[in-house]
Amino acid sequence: MSRLLRRNGWVAGLLALFAVLLVLTKIIQPGYGAGDFGSLARAGLPFAFAVAAQAVVVIAGGIDLSVASMMALTSVTAASMMNGASEEYALFVVPFVLAMGFVLGAVNGILIVVTRVPDIVVTLAMLFVLQGAALLVLDAPGGAAAEWLKASITGTLPFPFLPDAVTAWLPNALVLLVVCLCVVWIPLKRSRLGLSLYAIGSSELAAFRSGVPVARTRIIAYGLAGLFGAMGGLSLTMSTGIGAPIPGPYLMASVAAVVLGGVVLGGGRGGLLGPIIAVFVLRLVRTDLTLMAIDPNVTSIIEGAIMVAVVMFGAFIAIRGRPA
Amino acid sequence: MRKTSYLKMLPLLAGAAMLASVPGAFAEGKQYTIGVSNTVQGNGWREEMVCAIKAQALASGEVAKLNIAHRNTDAAGQLEDLRNLISAKVDAIVVNPADPAGIKAALEEANKAGIVVVAVDQAVTEPTAYIISNNQEQYAYLGAKWLFQQMGGKGGVVYMRGAAGASADSDRDKGFKKALAEFPDVKVVHEVFTGWQQDQAKQQILDFIATGSPFEGIWTSGIDNVIVDALVESGSKMVPVVGADNAGFVSQLNSVEGLVGAAVTNPGSIGGAGVTLALQILDGKKPAEQTVLVEPELWENATPEGKEKLKSVVDPSLSAEWPVSISIPDWTTYSKEQIIACKGPGE
Repeated sequence: MSRLLRRNGWVAGLLALFAVLLVLTKIIQPGYGAGDFGSLARAGLPFAFAVAAQAVVVIAGGIDLSVASMMALTSVTAASMMNGASEEYALFVVPFVLAMGFVLGAVNGILIVVTRVPDIVVTLAMLFVLQGAALLVLDAPGGAAAEWLKASITGTLPFPFLPDAVTAWLPNALVLLVVCLCVVWIPLKRSRLGLSLYAIGSSELAAFRSGVPVARTRIIAYGLAGLFGAMGGLSLTMSTGIGAPIPGPYLMASVAAVVLGGVVLGGGRGGLLGPIIAVFVLRLVRTDLTLMAIDPNVTSIIEGAIMVAVVMFGAFIAIRGRPA
Repeated sequence: MRKTSYLKMLPLLAGAAMLASVPGAFAEGKQYTIGVSNTVQGNGWREEMVCAIKAQALASGEVAKLNIAHRNTDAAGQLEDLRNLISAKVDAIVVNPADPAGIKAALEEANKAGIVVVAVDQAVTEPTAYIISNNQEQYAYLGAKWLFQQMGGKGGVVYMRGAAGASADSDRDKGFKKALAEFPDVKVVHEVFTGWQQDQAKQQILDFIATGSPFEGIWTSGIDNVIVDALVESGSKMVPVVGADNAGFVSQLNSVEGLVGAAVTNPGSIGGAGVTLALQILDGKKPAEQTVLVEPELWENATPEGKEKLKSVVDPSLSAEWPVSISIPDWTTYSKEQIIACKGPGE
C-alpha cells in the first residue's frame, strides 16, 4: 500500500513540477499560449514513444539500446514507402511499420533468451544492425509522408461538451499520444502478461518458480518496445514529413526520462505515466532555456543538473518515507 | 565556478529576459531580436558560423539580443528549437537546416507569425524562407576536378565523405560524381564516411594505408589536416590531397614538404552573411532572388600564383579547424578581432 502511494506520489510530484514550470514559462514569456503548448506536445511526441519503449523493457528487468536506431529504421521505411504513393496507401503503411517494429523488437528478445548474451550486448549489436539497415533503406534524408498523417498531429480537435478555451489546450499530438499509449498499455497492465512483466523484472527466479513463462514474457517485452519504437519512428516521419537514416538523440533521452519518471533501472517497479510526464518536463525546461536565451553551451549542463537534482530529491523523500 | 554562478543567475536572467521582451523600450532606433538554430555542436566550421553570427549581430548595431539554440540534434529536434524561437517572438531566424525538407512545417509557422527566416549553408524547401548558402555541389566538383587533373586523369582516388545521410554530403556527392564522370580512367578505390570527425578520419586513412592498396589522390569533405598528418606519420607516398580552407590544412599546404593539394573555400562566416540578409529584409530591402549562392574558390599550391594566394590567406591566429575565410566581402562587416572574440550583443 505504501509502495503504491509512493509511486503515485512520484507521479504527482512530477505533475506539480510540470505545473510550476508552466507558470514559470508564462512569467518568462507572457505571450505563451495554447499554440505554444501544441508545439511542446509535438516536440515531446517522438521522445514520449522512445521513453515508453524503454520503460516497458526496463520494467521487465532489461535495457534496450536499439531504441533510437529502431525509430530511424521504421521512420525511413515509412517515409520511403509513402514516397509518391497515394494517401490511402498510408493506411497500409502504418500497420505494416508497426508490425515491423514489433517483429524486430521480438528478435532482440529472442536473441537474448536463446543465446543468453546479456541484454545490453544484444541490443547494442542491434543498434548497429538497425542503423545500417536504415541507411540501406535511405542513404540520405528523404521520402515523404501522407498529408493526413502530417495533419493528424497539428491543430486541435473540437471535443463535444468542452468549451473552445479548453480544447485549445488539448493539441492533437497529445491526444494521439495518449490514445496510442492507452490502447497498448491499459489492456496489458490489466492482463496476466502485464503482471508477468513486473514479475520477471523484480525477480526472474521467483517469477520462474511461480510458473511465469519467463522467456516468452521477455520476448514480448522487447516486441512491445519495438512497437513503441515504431510509433516513435512514425511520429518522426509525421512531424518532419521525411525519414532520416541517422538516429536522433532518443536513446539517452529515453533512459533519462525513464529514470526521472520513477522507473527503477533494476526492473520491476514504475509505470508509463511518470516517464511520459518526465518527457514533457524535460521538453519544457528546454523551451524555457531557449526563451531566456541562455548560452547554448550551458543549457545541457542545466538540463543534466535538473535531472540529477530531481532524482536525488525523490530518493531522499523515498528514504524518509520508508517505515523504520 | 562558472556553472554555479550561472545557476544563481537564473532568476536574474529570467528578469532580464522579461525586460528584453518589452519591444524596443529602452533602445533607440531599430533593435531586433534574432533567433539562431544550429544542430551540430563542437565542430570547428559550425563554431565559426555561430561566432560569425554573433560578431555580425554586434557589428551591425541593429540587434538587441541573440537567442541561440545550438545543440546536437536531428530535424525533429530542430523543429522543437524553431518553435521555441517562435514562442520567444524573435523578429528573424537564421537557421542552418538539419534537413532541407524536414523543418518545413516550423518554417511555415514562422512565416505565419511574421518572422523573417534565412537559411544559411544549406537550402530549405519552404518557399517563404530566404537562403544564403555555399554552393556545396560546386564545392565538391571544383576540388575533385582539380584533383583528377593532378592525377593525370587516371588512377585510384580515396573518397573521404562527410556524414552519411547529411544533405551537404549528398550535394557534395553529386558534384564529386559529376567530376568523376568527366574522367573515365579515375576509379574510386576506397569510399568511407568520416562523419566529419577528425579522429575517425585519421584512423580510417591509416587503416587504408595499412592495406597497401595503391592510390593516387585523396579527396576529403573538409576533414583534411589529419589526413596529411597520417600521410606524413606513416611515411607513405605523398599524393595530392583536396580539402577545405581550414586554417590547419592551409598552413600545411604552405609548409609540408612534397605536399601538393588544394583548399576549396567553404566559409563558415556564411552565418554572418545570414544575419546581414535578415537585417536587410527586416529593414524592407528584400533581395531580388530568394536564394543567394556564394560560389567557392579553389586555392592550390601547384602553381606560383596559387602558392602566392595560399601565403596571403594563412592565419596562425585561427584555430586549426576554423576556415580561414572568416569574412565574406559585401556581406560581413565585423573585424577579425570581433569574430575571434565570439561575443554577441549584450555579452
